[in-house]
Amino acid sequence: MVVVHLPSSVGSRGVVRALKQTIRSVETGAGRGPPAAIPLGVAPIDDVLGGGLAHAALHEIAAARESEVAAASGFALALASRAGDARAVLWIAEDMGLIENGAPYGPGLDDLDLAPERLVTVATAKSRDVLWAMEEALRCRAVGAVVGEIRSTDRGIDLLASRRLSLAAGRSEACAFLLRTAPGTEASAAATRWVIAAAPSSAAGPGPPRLSVHLTRNRRGAVGSWLLEWNRVEQRFDLASSLSQPVADAAGDRPHRAAAAGA
Amino acid sequence: MRLATDRIARQRPAPDPRPLVVTGKRGNVERLAAVDAAATELGLKPGLALAEARARYPDLAVVAEHPADDRRLLGDIADWGQRYTPLLAVDPPDGLLLDIAGCAHLYGGEEKLLADLLAHMARFGFAARAAIASTIGAAFAAARFGTAGIVAPGEERVALGPLPLAALRLPEETVSALRRVGLKRVGDILDLPRAPLAARFGDDLLRQLDRALGTEREPLTPVLPVAAYMAEQPFAEPIAREDDVLRVIERLAARLKLMLERRGEGARVVELALFRTDGAVRRVVISTSRPLREPGDIRALYVERLASVADALDPGFGFDLARLSVIAAEPCPPEQVGFGERADDADLDRLIDRLSARLGARRVMRLMANDSHIPELAATSVPAQAGVALDAGWAAFRRFRATVALSPRPLRLLVKPEPIEAIATIPDGPPVRFRWRHAFHEVVAADGPERIEGAWWSEEAGPARDYFRVEDQAGHRFWLFRAGLYRAAVRPQWFLHGTFA
Repeated sequence: MVVVHLPSSVGSRGVVRALKQTIRSVETGAGRGPPAAIPLGVAPIDDVLGGGLAHAALHEIAAARESEVAAASGFALALASRAGDARAVLWIAEDMGLIENGAPYGPGLDDLDLAPERLVTVATAKSRDVLWAMEEALRCRAVGAVVGEIRSTDRGIDLLASRRLSLAAGRSEACAFLLRTAPGTEASAAATRWVIAAAPSSAAGPGPPRLSVHLTRNRRGAVGSWLLEWNRVEQRFDLASSLSQPVADAAGDRPHRAAAAGA
Repeated sequence: MRLATDRIARQRPAPDPRPLVVTGKRGNVERLAAVDAAATELGLKPGLALAEARARYPDLAVVAEHPADDRRLLGDIADWGQRYTPLLAVDPPDGLLLDIAGCAHLYGGEEKLLADLLAHMARFGFAARAAIASTIGAAFAAARFGTAGIVAPGEERVALGPLPLAALRLPEETVSALRRVGLKRVGDILDLPRAPLAARFGDDLLRQLDRALGTEREPLTPVLPVAAYMAEQPFAEPIAREDDVLRVIERLAARLKLMLERRGEGARVVELALFRTDGAVRRVVISTSRPLREPGDIRALYVERLASVADALDPGFGFDLARLSVIAAEPCPPEQVGFGERADDADLDRLIDRLSARLGARRVMRLMANDSHIPELAATSVPAQAGVALDAGWAAFRRFRATVALSPRPLRLLVKPEPIEAIATIPDGPPVRFRWRHAFHEVVAADGPERIEGAWWSEEAGPARDYFRVEDQAGHRFWLFRAGLYRAAVRPQWFLHGTFA
């Protein structure tokens, strides 16, 4: 409730001015303005990012390989949930992407702290429409985060397109994530670029999501690699203890290394 | 009356001077089903055996009948006829009924409307007869059996009197029964005592008579549901450009807004009908997720919609009439937009409408939790525009999950479980290796089984599934299941259903 006190002597123009001021103070003071950075809750990463993931910016998250799409999706959705700040999250993908890699599954989203009722999935017939829908979604202030899935088999996204998205994100109150099924090589206007791969669970049995995360481009600071594990209780990423695991990506798909380690 | 022959004549690349007849099998005999004007002049009538007609006039153009094409053509003409009134019904096989109450003045009176309609039909190449009367029955009789033109209110008895009884839309048997007792014209039965007529020839006769004379009301069932709100704009000069169409949409929407506001409603489904000069009609429908009445909003949705159908719009030589109708409306409380938190929902709905208009409503979805233990049914997608309440379902899901400690669910679920080749060491255990999409995966860790029974009440549910969460050597985590058990001779099939982060 806002109460406007007006001295009796003020004329009608004064009333309007006073009301305008009140409205301005309500609009800015109510805490609607989102923070400039979204902390991931992992100190070393937040440090290089300068406090956290830049808000109102474009971030590119790529799967290290086609087979790592699930891991990259998890990372993107967890960040989107944080960035979205209880507002809607849009998942925009091509029909083929949804068929190849599966559609976001409500109960699974819930595991990653993204309330499924916040998600709107958008399927497009053409890859160009993914970018159009992302830009369109970024204009809406009810949207907290937009995730667009770009398949590596597509023509890809050139500098012009990413700059366009980056500008749209900059004008918005949302975070934009480009989820790519393979790392891109072309120049990009994204604020950060990540390459994600799954990492083997530490204990016996499949554990919580564990990701090997490479920050390959960072406008605000250094790059780096980390091993993250999803903390189901705290609903955030933890830095996995690097002692229990030899190297983050001594993956089985490099047999010579596995053999060397075994020998 | 000459629908079939006109259809064929219209399709001919060059005019054919020979008389045209359309034939079809009646009983075991090939008979004339329709004849054109030239053939009528020769004295040929529908019903005549083709052999006889040929014997009389060997030089006939004969075409086999095609009722489906005639029906489609009649439907197209009906579409075009919507320009005169939305209350239009098809009267098979070759008639249209138009309720022009309150529309005639737009054309400067009934005579002018009739003339306009007949002129258009003639230009399209149809021999049409039309009559205007106060009742469907009288108009039907006048158009098909009478002198056509206009039957003034109260003149029905005079106009119908000299017409044959078939003009009352009676079954063939009734007409011939009446003829046997010497009653041939409508005038013959107008003043007969009603009770004996009804007793002998059935109530139907009197009902049709009453309907023709207007003593009994006859409803007209329109082809398309009549919109609650409608605004239209004819153009002296046909328009063709998308910009012009959009400008017209906004102007029409502004008129609709006034009507909607008066009743406190907003539009949920809007249809734009564009009437092309050559008679074709283009209809473009948009739907919204909340009642809408701002012209700007409606225009914005059409911008997206037209962007996706631009080629299909195909203006040809231009549109000469545009009509915007609200097909579905809902109460819409006046709301203040752009101030405070409440507007956020409306913002999101506007975005969803825009995306749906461009991409299609089935492509913009939200996730809904269902009361089911079968994974693909537990969470389904519903069109975001449907406005289904989702919160309660997911709250129930979280309560359920908290009580039974459900094992983790995959982040992405495949549209359909994909068959995989898997090898398990113990019959009911997890696989030790499997092949999915041509890639081998060694299972280093597994969790399960979690048995999910099929729905016993459904045939399609299939056998019980044992779900396993497995991790391969590279750390990829999958959700697999075995359909059925290792028993007897049949080997159960393994499927991959989803992937974990």
